[in-house]
Amino acid sequence: MNTTWTYSRIKTIALPILGLAGAIIIAYAGSDRILTYLIPAYIWGIVVFGWTAIFRVGQFSLGQGAFMMIGAYASAILTTSVAETTQITSAIFQLPTLVGMLLAGVIAGIFALIVGAATLRLGGIFFCIVTLAFNELIRVVAVGIPEWFGGVNGILAPFPAPFGIDFQHSKKPFYFLTLIVLVFAAIVFWRLDRSRLGRHFRAVAANKNLAEHTGLRLSKYRIIAFTVAGFFAGVAGALFGHYLHVVTPTLFGLPEAIIVLIMCTVGGTSTPIVGPLVGALILSPAGDYLTSKFQGGKPLVFGILVVLVAFFLVNGVTSLPNSFINLFRRRSRRPAEART
Amino acid sequence: MAILELKGISKHFGNLAALDGVDLVVEEGQLTGLSGPNGSGKTTLFNVVSGFYEPTAGEVIFQGKNVTKMRPDERAAMGLVRTFQSNVLFGQASVLDNVVWASSLESKTNSWAAFLNTRKHREEEKAIVKKAREILEFWGFSGVEDVLASELSHGDQRRLGLAVASATNPKLLLIDEPVGGIGGEERDSVVAHIKLLQQQGITIILVEHHVKTILAICERFVVLDFGRKIADGKPLEVAAQANVIEAYLGTREVGK
Repeated sequence: MNTTWTYSRIKTIALPILGLAGAIIIAYAGSDRILTYLIPAYIWGIVVFGWTAIFRVGQFSLGQGAFMMIGAYASAILTTSVAETTQITSAIFQLPTLVGMLLAGVIAGIFALIVGAATLRLGGIFFCIVTLAFNELIRVVAVGIPEWFGGVNGILAPFPAPFGIDFQHSKKPFYFLTLIVLVFAAIVFWRLDRSRLGRHFRAVAANKNLAEHTGLRLSKYRIIAFTVAGFFAGVAGALFGHYLHVVTPTLFGLPEAIIVLIMCTVGGTSTPIVGPLVGALILSPAGDYLTSKFQGGKPLVFGILVVLVAFFLVNGVTSLPNSFINLFRRRSRRPAEART
Repeated sequence: MAILELKGISKHFGNLAALDGVDLVVEEGQLTGLSGPNGSGKTTLFNVVSGFYEPTAGEVIFQGKNVTKMRPDERAAMGLVRTFQSNVLFGQASVLDNVVWASSLESKTNSWAAFLNTRKHREEEKAIVKKAREILEFWGFSGVEDVLASELSHGDQRRLGLAVASATNPKLLLIDEPVGGIGGEERDSVVAHIKLLQQQGITIILVEHHVKTILAICERFVVLDFGRKIADGKPLEVAAQANVIEAYLGTREVGK
């Protein structure tokens, strides 16, 4: 077998195992301080998989923040048991947190399905603008109906307490919960990419006219990608809400939607999983660290980073090992003639 | 039996009538050549038949069904497939992957089965790859299945485009200038394969500038000029018609 084969096998089998082992070791060897950086990073990872899937169907979404917001509010409302007198939605469902998070994903997915079905036929810049507007719409609704969403102060999201596990005094349970969701999301998006669906996704992105005239229903595959991404953005938003214990209208919005695309750009979108995940794992802790050091540091550094990546590393950080290998290995190109 | 019927097709772009009341009936199994000078409406007609444009007036009837309002992919699923001059879908994928993609449009298992990779789906995928290899063999791509499509020569990309289109089991294939820009041996090979496709039972309409190609393989020759059908019949007779020669050589302008 040639070297390319072995290398790709190593990547698909060894990388996930090593990564998972590393993630588990960190939980026990590292301090809670490290976990406070990693939990948001994993949550962003869940979101960026979805954004990349949408991007790989040839669409550009600026609305992932909106779906996170929907998920965060949905889960908080569904699970809270604290009765607030000013808020009619409090303490009426009182569902278990894990069920709430799942339903939050489903609700965000339904919103994505509706928005997608209405706009994905447009494609291109129009879709991008609609998702951008959707971001703002959700925020305005959240602020505008305080009886439901608690207005600018937001609403409380309870700490999860499934099976009597204490999520409040240790970071570890939450860390493992996000890790499990992250791994599940990675498997879903990996399967999407490797199956016939992924083939059709790439066809839509590569040449939509030809794909359509050969018999592919473009909007169907765009909607599938957008809905699955919306579901996971909703779950991620719910996780964030419960992690922070409160959901406010400024939790997610346009800046977060842009950070998602920065993560994907820096990590690289030529792979469905590794690239965006690396982007999230680098930029989420880096952003948190910068914000803790000086206000405004995060947008400044991220902005410069995007420009640098666009100029020098178009395929993102994850293209580095491959370019490195290619430096040392002379690529054996086969003759281009295909005549018989 | 008529596989395709065009009834009074007109297509206007503002004040410009790209097509002006074109009627055309194509019988099953026919290989029809469609030609005309630049801007005569050949490609517009293709776009109307394949669903890229909706006609301003007129109807497109495919296999007895009015498809005028249908999307391109719905028509393609019925067996009405068109090719583009550049028909390579994935330049960055292998020759095999290109054809496998087209073959998998025919798959019977649903998206869930594909996502969950059920046994039925795996078996189907195997059959799809097998079929794709057979198609590649037919088009003479044996041995280069793993080459990137973008690394193929211009002529080979044309043949790959036809292989992709034929992998969807079309009933009527609209082929847009398959030999434009290629010549010699490559052209002969493409032309021969189009004839073979017809022998497999596929009805074909060929847009072609190169009249010699049409004379060589087509049973019928339709000529458009200024959006109107000016000739329709046996290739040799049409090619000898005075108005056809006039349209091509532009004697009208010269004579004025």
